[in-house]
Amino acid sequence: MDVKPYEFMVKETPAREWSEGMGSLIAVAMFLGGVSGGLYLTSLYFNNVWGMFIAWIFALGMGLFDMAHLSKPFRAWRIAFRPGSSWISRGFIFVILFIGAAGIQLLINLMTGNPADINPAEIFFRVVAGIFAFGVAIYSGFVVGFVNGVKFWNSGIMPILFVVAGVTGGASVLLATAAYTSAGDFSTIQAMARFMLVFYTIVIFVHLWIATYSGPVARDSARMLVKGNLAGIFWVIIILIGVVVPLIFVFTAGADSPIILMLSAAMVLLGNLALRYSILRAGMYTPLVPE
Amino acid sequence: MRWGMAIELKRCIGCYACVLACKAEHFLPPDIFWNRVLIGEKGKYPTVSKIILSVRCNQCANPKCVDACPTGATQKREDGIVWIDEDKCVGCRYCMVACPYQMRSFYEHEKEYFPGQGLTEHEKIGRILYPHQKGVVQKCVFCKERIDAGLAKGLKPGVDRDASPACQIICPTKAIHFGDLDDPNSEINMIIQTKKGHQFHPEFDTDPSIYYID
Repeated sequence: MDVKPYEFMVKETPAREWSEGMGSLIAVAMFLGGVSGGLYLTSLYFNNVWGMFIAWIFALGMGLFDMAHLSKPFRAWRIAFRPGSSWISRGFIFVILFIGAAGIQLLINLMTGNPADINPAEIFFRVVAGIFAFGVAIYSGFVVGFVNGVKFWNSGIMPILFVVAGVTGGASVLLATAAYTSAGDFSTIQAMARFMLVFYTIVIFVHLWIATYSGPVARDSARMLVKGNLAGIFWVIIILIGVVVPLIFVFTAGADSPIILMLSAAMVLLGNLALRYSILRAGMYTPLVPE
Repeated sequence: MRWGMAIELKRCIGCYACVLACKAEHFLPPDIFWNRVLIGEKGKYPTVSKIILSVRCNQCANPKCVDACPTGATQKREDGIVWIDEDKCVGCRYCMVACPYQMRSFYEHEKEYFPGQGLTEHEKIGRILYPHQKGVVQKCVFCKERIDAGLAKGLKPGVDRDASPACQIICPTKAIHFGDLDDPNSEINMIIQTKKGHQFHPEFDTDPSIYYID
């Protein structure tokens, strides 16, 4: 929705800082963070070290994209000093501590002769990394939910949506990893991936439904996603490519189809990224001029 | 002490003098506005009226931007003025996203007012007197430099021109009043109480320091 200069804050004004130009890199960072946290937590549950490693790589990617979206990245160290009030500060700390703890855990695992033997030090770092992985997955939902000027974002379900999206993406990646490594608990991971895809879809539509109760501006944002100029991204990428087709694959492909499951994971991740981008793109500020 | 403004909407004629005075005072680059004039319509035909709102950073007592800022670049002074330390800003723009009034600007690209024709004398002087750092957020600061300099000379902000914000002193209809909201006997409090001033969009729960009088 384009707003002319004289309509700025006179009509519903799109939030553009994080959906255009270099600012849109934060959508990629949020996506990588969500999937990183979700993948690490699911890998932790199923004791899949490859999944943990991929999650760690995703977290590094998140850090890179976060730095890239800043105009003064060499000052980024200052971000750590306001966790008392700023969600970006809290998230920065979660990401740093997660990368550190997961990195140490993976190093210990690598140095251990038999990966099946988990020594106490690795258990400790797994627990610490798991806690911060949850923080990494959820904090971007709070970053966005904190903005009370954009009613479409200012909802208690936003952190839940972001965590569920992250765990869904993580579960899909873990499923593909399990097929490649012939993990013994493949069928359990597959059941989890199926459940998460369905639950993720429900949470998306619950968020859109709640938005219709949050005032006219939030309702217009939801309408933009479902039948406006973001409808193509929503229905084709987020729902069809991001959920429906992967669901078909996850229900029909087995452990002997790693390529199909990898394709399914890539589609879920694409839908995940598109979800975060379109949520940021659909956000609009309440006009200041009364009607 | 808490500096605030009261703006009488019936007096405002939408001349944009406040916008231009601010631009001149702070040598603002192209596309950067620290205050704006919003013009909208109210009602349905045939009972339609024009609404003119002179808006700027509300210097909120409960500022969302200060809570959002991850580096502490955005800070609130004891006198209520919310300002930005440009040397601490990383350019994440979370403060811009968090502000429900959208009164912040991001200085992304250095531009000239007349591209290809070089800088004007005003722009050259501005780069010396009031340089703006590229890649950081900026906004109205109630002309804190004028207030601080005026107070040092024993002048009274809101009364004496040299100690008052540029937009207030330029207003041809004297629609903008400036003063201490914490002083119950100040002129601004008298105006707010007698003319029933109201805060700007109190539903955002930011306790803004700018009151509007219908």
